[in-house]
Amino acid sequence: MHRRNAARIAATTVSSDQAKPSPKVLVTPRSPDIPRTEGAPPAPGQPIRHAQRPRLAWLRPLPLLARHITRTMPWVTLITGCLAGTAYLAIMAHVAGTSHSPLGQGSVRLAFLPAVAALAFVPRAWFRPVTQATPVPAWVGPAGHILLAAPVLAVTCWAQLRLMAHTIPSDTPGPPPAIYPVIAQLTGWCAVTVAAAACVDRSRYTDLGGAIAAAVSFAAIALAWYAPITSRFLTEPYATAHGVTVAWYAIATAALALTCAAMRDQWHRYTRDLYRLSSLQSKPS
Amino acid sequence: MTATDGGPAPPGADPAVPIGGHAPAGLAERSRAPRLRTVQALARAEAFLLARSLLVLAGLVAGGLLIWLLIHPVQPLWWNAAWEIGDGQLALAIGVLVAAQLATGRARRNAMGDLYTSFPATAGTRTLAHLAGLLGAVPASLLLIAAATVVVQARGAIGAPGIAVLAGGLLLVIAAGAAGIAIGTRFPHPLAGLLGALALFLSSTLFQGGIIWLLPWEIKQDDLGELPSPLAGYPPADAHVVELAGIAVLAGVVALAVTVRGGRAWGGLATAGILAVAVICLAGAAQLRPIPTTDLNHLIAEVADPASVQRCTTADQVRYCLYPGFGRDLPSLEAPVSEVLAHLPARPDQPLTIRQVVSVDFTQPALTDPTLTHGHSKRQEAQWNAQLRREERFLNAAALAIYLPVGSWPAAGAQLADAHFAMALGAAEWAVHLPPATGGLYSSVFLPCVPLNQAREAIAIWLAILATHPPAGELQGGLHSRGYSIGAWVRSTVVPTWAYPGAQYLVSSGPPITAAGYLLANAMTSLPEQKVARVLKDAWGRWLNWRTTDTQLAAALGIPMPGLPAFLKPHPRRGVSIAPPPSNERDPLCTT
Repeated sequence: MHRRNAARIAATTVSSDQAKPSPKVLVTPRSPDIPRTEGAPPAPGQPIRHAQRPRLAWLRPLPLLARHITRTMPWVTLITGCLAGTAYLAIMAHVAGTSHSPLGQGSVRLAFLPAVAALAFVPRAWFRPVTQATPVPAWVGPAGHILLAAPVLAVTCWAQLRLMAHTIPSDTPGPPPAIYPVIAQLTGWCAVTVAAAACVDRSRYTDLGGAIAAAVSFAAIALAWYAPITSRFLTEPYATAHGVTVAWYAIATAALALTCAAMRDQWHRYTRDLYRLSSLQSKPS
Repeated sequence: MTATDGGPAPPGADPAVPIGGHAPAGLAERSRAPRLRTVQALARAEAFLLARSLLVLAGLVAGGLLIWLLIHPVQPLWWNAAWEIGDGQLALAIGVLVAAQLATGRARRNAMGDLYTSFPATAGTRTLAHLAGLLGAVPASLLLIAAATVVVQARGAIGAPGIAVLAGGLLLVIAAGAAGIAIGTRFPHPLAGLLGALALFLSSTLFQGGIIWLLPWEIKQDDLGELPSPLAGYPPADAHVVELAGIAVLAGVVALAVTVRGGRAWGGLATAGILAVAVICLAGAAQLRPIPTTDLNHLIAEVADPASVQRCTTADQVRYCLYPGFGRDLPSLEAPVSEVLAHLPARPDQPLTIRQVVSVDFTQPALTDPTLTHGHSKRQEAQWNAQLRREERFLNAAALAIYLPVGSWPAAGAQLADAHFAMALGAAEWAVHLPPATGGLYSSVFLPCVPLNQAREAIAIWLAILATHPPAGELQGGLHSRGYSIGAWVRSTVVPTWAYPGAQYLVSSGPPITAAGYLLANAMTSLPEQKVARVLKDAWGRWLNWRTTDTQLAAALGIPMPGLPAFLKPHPRRGVSIAPPPSNERDPLCTT
């Protein structure tokens, strides 16, 4: 399904550009007959061929792509993860209601982990060798998927915070604990997960990118939570709510930059001996 | 890539029959080899791949780390340590579950189902091989058990390991792997395995009460580490092992039911499934049975009237009362106390008692594990509570005592050094006549007095430092615990306090220590010991008077009174409220 739709994306982008003068339909980035997409260095010994169309011409097919990006979005995976965590929290809320012990923010953090695991499967560039050869940058698809996932995650977070608040008695003395550090923390978790998934997607282990990214993200979350060095800055009460928020948004920003860099990376990272292969190609047979 | 999903052909596996069935005679002969042989060969390869799976190895490392984190800060008691080894097995089980799901679901995930259907090994055979291949996780589990057992035993564990509990950890790993296979046969997406692993992890903390033993492995709702001796049926290890075995069989049946075709096989699987469910239900019912009243009566008696079961030893006017089996702690307890006594100019008249207590609170179910009293009548629980309250009054009226919670005394390392300091400080407080904290072991009201600006407090700290020689950095760190400055309200002012090392190893040993007292004691350690000892000995009675101030002691020693650092000044963002609490919540001044 994903592969068929990805191929459709590629076909759409190509057909939308057929009205304009286009040198050739691109098939593989390693062929010397094919002009490279932006940012990719030329193969050794090959002359640099500049593209004919304006730099932002790829923005035009975006409205057409939106439908296909929406269809290739792994909705089932994402929503399953979000619902699994919310269902867990609902059970916890029921148990808390019967035992008269309100849920804490820790329960919300735990309940958000399935959503984080599902998010790891979202930024996947299906059929990248084809999509990379089209005039539209290959990162448009994964970036669109991430943008589509953001509101789903926001709604999940909101629902889980509501579930938690529902278990707190109204006559509880004192103000409730601030939730903005929790939101910052969950945002940071998501950003780290997306960055890990984007990086693994550019590796030779792309087939298991989501599973690896989820495991890496869980390890990072556990490290941030339990390691004394990091917990001093990233968890309450060791750090103030304001400090926790700033630290997690800083991490999210750094992870976002890493995600952008990984998505824009156009080189195949599937083989170990890339240098040797390119040397062989440059030699006349 | 796994053997059953397109990896290298395992030795002994049947090769594929060519399309059309025109196989050479020898090939056709081999293709009629018994199915069991194929399963064995595939299972051998699967077991090998599972044993070297990165996920399993990561689970092994995480499990070992978790066990170490759980057992190293506390006293190794086998009735608790065996269950904590199972906590580590839970981490390994999570890795095995994900690895097994990935291996089983790979064929469908890669859209290679048609290719595998063309193989002579059927889907059911491959699933059976995957299930048998779970034996590949057994070495990792056994290694975890063996390594943890050696470490626990080397740390001087009390009691004997429960074989059923340790075996339960092994079965947990196998059951999790079988569940991973069952998930993988139906849901090939990797997220399914991750969700299964999360469900296994999250379920371990889901419930409270007697129901916790029905979970695959609960990790934090028990009071095992606080019991003075093993309690029969807590945990119900035998029934739990049976339940885990039933879960493993049921998961295997579910996995085979998805892949096996044929009425006869379905009949066998249905029978096995029904039997597994029956076994799980019976084991669950056995685990939900309340702990026998006689056993709980014995435990309550041990808790409420420790003197009836404890063995007491008196040395140097100090009485050490320990539960049976804990006698090996006696030298470790005596060492810091003897050092303090050796530096005293004069010993107090009242004897000191150091007594082990059980900190399990039966009276507040919201705070502790109600699993102990699960299934007993309210009337029975009320009787036990009344018994505990009676003995609490007795404890408060008793002579000065240092209460040592069962299971808290560390075995070795920095934790033991901290515990030694706390014990020495408790003995020194007794020596300088600082009153013990008021309130009971099971009381929610705990109002210790504060020895504000009293010279005897600095002397007690100095004696404890002299007896145990703790690192200066650790003592200094007690001024701002984890970034927070801490304090107590006395009358209408905030008094910065000092969190001394090892305070968590004792129960209500004495009053809170002020930061000013610690700073003066720290300054005293820079003076020659003989000089300080002479000053103290010359007017020992005066220094024990609660009206004698820190400033007077500093003047007698010829040193300036140290000032409080700026970060100890009360400030809302440093964790100390500047608004005074109600008068009944303020700490009294020590005046006896």
